[in-house]
Order: sequence, then structure tokens, then C-alpha cells
Amino acid sequence: MENNDNRLIKIYHGPQHPGITGNMSMELDLLGETIKGARTHVGYLHRGFEKLIERRTIIQAFTIVCRICVPEPDPNEENFARAVEGLAGIEISQRAKYIRVMVLEMARLAAQMLWMGGQSGSIGLGVVGQWSVYDRDLILDLFEELTGGRVYHMYIYPGGVRRELPNGFLEKLAQLLDYLEGRLLAYDSIFFENSTFKKRAIGVGVVNRDEALKNGYVGQVLRGCGIERDVRRDNPYLVYDKLDFEIPTYEGCDVYSRALVRRGEMVESIKILRQVIAQMPSEGAIMQKLPKHRKFKLPKEDIYVATESARGEFGYYMAGDGSEFIRRMQVKGPSLIHGFTLLENLLVDEELSNVALIMNSLGICPPEMER
Amino acid sequence: MIEFLKKHYEIVEKAPRLYKLQIESDKLVEILSSVSINSNFITLSQIACTDWIEDEVFALNYILTTKERDKNLMVEVRISRVHCSLPTLLNLYPQAQVMERDLHEMYGINFRGNDTLYDFALENWNEIPPLRREFDTLAYVNEHFDFRIGREDNKDVKAEVKRRKAQAKESKDGK
Amino acid sequence: MQFSPDIKGTLSPFLAVKKLFEHPKTICYPEVKKEQIDGYRGFHTNLLADCIGCANCQDVCMNEAIDMVTIAKDVNPKNASGCIPRIDYGRCCWCSLCTDVCPPNSLKLENECIWADDKADNFLYFPKDK
Repeated sequence: MENNDNRLIKIYHGPQHPGITGNMSMELDLLGETIKGARTHVGYLHRGFEKLIERRTIIQAFTIVCRICVPEPDPNEENFARAVEGLAGIEISQRAKYIRVMVLEMARLAAQMLWMGGQSGSIGLGVVGQWSVYDRDLILDLFEELTGGRVYHMYIYPGGVRRELPNGFLEKLAQLLDYLEGRLLAYDSIFFENSTFKKRAIGVGVVNRDEALKNGYVGQVLRGCGIERDVRRDNPYLVYDKLDFEIPTYEGCDVYSRALVRRGEMVESIKILRQVIAQMPSEGAIMQKLPKHRKFKLPKEDIYVATESARGEFGYYMAGDGSEFIRRMQVKGPSLIHGFTLLENLLVDEELSNVALIMNSLGICPPEMER
Repeated sequence: MIEFLKKHYEIVEKAPRLYKLQIESDKLVEILSSVSINSNFITLSQIACTDWIEDEVFALNYILTTKERDKNLMVEVRISRVHCSLPTLLNLYPQAQVMERDLHEMYGINFRGNDTLYDFALENWNEIPPLRREFDTLAYVNEHFDFRIGREDNKDVKAEVKRRKAQAKESKDGK
Repeated sequence: MQFSPDIKGTLSPFLAVKKLFEHPKTICYPEVKKEQIDGYRGFHTNLLADCIGCANCQDVCMNEAIDMVTIAKDVNPKNASGCIPRIDYGRCCWCSLCTDVCPPNSLKLENECIWADDKADNFLYFPKDK
């Protein structure tokens, strides 16, 4: 198309496209193939969870929170459980803490595998997605055995966890970790070192490092800028202060750096899981005694808790009002800032074909923006 | 740098590494600018709003995070539910734009100086803002949607127990 | 422009070709079924000889998916209300809170989880008596 008179064309990229897990659209102003302006539109997935939770008792609200982020529900459950425990003053056992760390790290591995499928799919490398989604399924098989569900586990519960570990579970997990560690080398050869991916990703979607901390970017966006921030290290929860792990950082600020950070995190997750298997206490109640359904009340207090999800800091604000209902629970996922403040600026002067690539590298998940 | 804050403001430690500060709404911008210059709390991670309908106020918690991301500070302002209006923080934190847009839609709070408060997640919404407590979800659903038929035979269990007890007693007396 | 070919990065993806000679990872459903796991959260079962009709399950269900209804069959003599739960599978989210709060532990979840039907009204489910 001729564009000599500098006329802009407006197109909608989305709501369905390979860039993200969920529905979100970008309104793009194009000059030829180059983007001159971008605006994010959400609202295709608004399910009113925050309003719904005001009408539910604490126990009932627990099954809603995992649905806030589909690819990675467990950090939501952990945040919810920790916020309720903080308000109600419940202390959970060491064993429950280790089981929770195990679930969170397994969820992180599974989420990174799914992300690998999305990221490679956004540039047309279909094989990577087929392999990684199969490997993710092996993790889901273990989840199925542990929690009874594959995607929505509803396992981390205020006061502990809901089920005891099945017989021989830790051995199975150890075997799977050995397998996955070997698979990472295969992913190196077909994805992380693939010249197609390098050519598409290096120097694309460069985040301004100076504004990264001030603007509240989290997760891989920060670590891809060489800034070492991780809630697990900086503001430790559960037993992360007793575990030994590194925070991988890369200096490139681009899509490729963020991909390498994720690869590094998979290695670290495997390392953490091995330590958890070795240190798992064999004794201890997995569940504290809780008041009965309608008698479980929260004091008139408020709290903010944060968990490191596979895409960055996930924060919950929770306020109780002395009744069995939660007065307010507000979710802050990593996507809200990444999807609006960062993405709208990052897309300017990029090529149209890079939109899905950049979106996916930021780890944007629309369900948690509109809750 | 929490010492600076402790010296100048009344700060409560709510949990390990979580602090709370309550301020008047007219001092919001002043205090937050001072906090972001003089202490490590440079990032805004969330604006959380709670509707305390019985006190006729909205409580807004501006959750600030340090540069090291190791401590959180909740700065609470209370504003009237009726004329709810606050100055925008767009000049201090660019990410406040989307958070204020969200709260404007969900609570109807007007952020003075933010001219981007258009639709966020809801489209063509003409009712009262949905996260206000007076918005009754169930009434709205009953008005706008039909429930699927086939579940009318649901029994109230307490009434059923009472009825069966009375029935048993009656048949016993009848004998 | 300098020409520096990335030979390793160009050739290494071809390692994927060797997967052509491996056994496929997928299974041939429905001839071959996946191994069933104990404790899967599938359909409900309710042992009528134990159910006391207390409606705790109805009270805890956040989706209001459970109705307490009377049936023609004999129920537990200790069942004070004479009602048993019926579950609307259009609403159920399989959180298994109802099985957690069941006082006589009669309500349980089984492995079975596949049900196709052409009418949406048909998904009112009486738990199997076992």
C-alpha cells in the first residue's frame, strides 16, 4: 500500500491472537509496517471476581481466586491464603510451608513451559510449543495426583494445604526433574540458540532501564534489564529464605534477554525443587484447625501480600470487616503495569510483526488486569 | 530509610516489612512527593480502594514499594463517598494512570488532573459503578437475566426437618 | 554490513528431525485410555445409606449448584430431612468443598469425568449411590 502522504492506518490486533493467553486487543496506528501509536483495550474477560468475593465467605472465596490467572493459578492461592492467615493470625506448619513451595515451583516450571510455547508460536516456531506443552503435561500429571485437578488445583488453603502427599510422590518428582533438566538442552538447540529466534528477538522490545524501577515493572522485565529483583529473595515468604537459589539477570533489556532469564529461572526452579525434596520434613500437620464455615471471621484490618509468580510480583490487598465476608480483595498482577504503561510505549516504532512477540515476552495475562 | 518516615509521620508496622501511614486527603500529593524524594519508597505498586459504606467513606490505600522491593508502605486516605474526588498522581508515577482509570470506573472516584479516565473494562455501563457496596449484584442479575428452569424442586432442609418431625408426631398421636 | 553466519544456531534446530524416528508421545484415545489416578476430582458419588440430608454441602457451595430434593428411593433412616443433594453440573466447579464438609463422609468424587449431552437442561446430576 502507498503511504507517501503519511496517512495512518488503524487496525485492531486482537482480541484473539498468538501474543497472549487470553483476550486483549491493541489498537494500532500504522504507517506502512511501522507502529506509530498503540492503545491497550481490555474488557473481553471481565468476570467480576472482586465483586463476587464480597458476597462469599472466606472458604467460598478460596475457589474463585485460582481463576484469576489461568496459566498459573497457584500464586493467587498462595496470596489469598497468606493474606487470610495474616489477618486471622494463623501460623502454618513447616511441612505445609515446604509443600507450598514445592507446588509454587512446580507451577512456575509449568508456566514457563507454556510461555515457551507461546513465545515460539508468536514467531512461527511450532515444534517448540508441541514439545514444551507435552513436558508441561507431565508436570500437570503430578499435580493431578497431588491435588486432584490438572489446571485449577485449589490446593493451597488458608491454614495449610488440603491433601497429604501421595505415596512415592517425591520420588516421582525427582525423576521428572532429571528428565526436564535433560530436556532443557533440547530446548536450547531448537529455541534459545535457534538463529531464527535470535534474529527476531535480539534488540527488539528494548525496555528503558532507567525508568524500570520507578515505573514499577516486575519480574523478567526487570531481570532482563540486569536489575536483580525477586520477591522470593527481597521480601521472603514461606521458606524461601532457607533455600539456596540464584536470580538470573541479563543486560540486554530486549526480548532475547527476557527469554534467557526465563530459561535461567527454569534451572533455578529445578534446583529449588531438589532442595525441597531433600529438606521436606516428614512430620507435621499439613492443616491447622480452622473455625467452621460461617464462624470463620476476619478482624477489621487490612494487609498487603506479594508472591513471585512466573511473570513477576503478584500482590493482593485484603481488608476484613469483622464479619465472615471479606470486605475487599484487590488483585495487582504484573500485567496491569506491563500491559498499559509499558506496552503502549514499547510498541511505538516497532514493526507490526513484532507485536505478538513483544507482548508475549512481557508475560501479559489479561484475566488478571480486569479481574 | 524508614527512619525518615518514622521521624516525620506516624507509621504503624502491620507485619514484617509492611508499614501503614494514615494521612488527610488534601496532603496526599505533598506527602507522597516528599516520601518518594526523601525515602526509598519510589514505586507505586497498587491503589487499593475499600468501600466502608457504614462510615460513608472510601479508604484508598496507595501501596508504595522501595527501590530494593523489600518493604511495602500503605498510605491510606479516606474520602467522602458522596463527593469522591482526589488529585491525580500521574506526575509522580506514570503507572497511576491505569490504576486511577480502573478505580474511576469501579467506584466513580474522580481523579482531578487525569484526563484519560475513559472506559476500562466495562463497555456502555450506565448503572452505578459496580464495586460500590450499594450496587446489588443479585438484584441486577435477577432483573437482566433468567435463571435456567428445572431446579424448582429444591427443598428448604430446615423446614423439611420440622415438617417431618410434626408428621411423625402426628402419626404417633393418631395411634 | 559484516557477514557473520550463526552456523550453530542455524543447524541445531535440525536436531528436531530425529524425533521423526521416535515413538509418538500421544495416545490413541479412546482405544487407549490414560491411566486413572486415585483422588481425581470427577463426578460426585453419594452413599445414600450414610447421607443424613444435613445440607452442609448446599451451604458451602459458592456456586449454588446443589439442590436438596426428595426421591422415591429409600434413604438412610437417620436422614432427618429425607432430602439428598442433586448437583447442577452447569454450575459446579469441582472444588470438592462439599465433600470436605460432609459430616458422615458420604459425598465423594470419583474418577469418571466425561459426559456429553446435546441439551443444556440435562446436566442436573444425581450422585451415584456408591
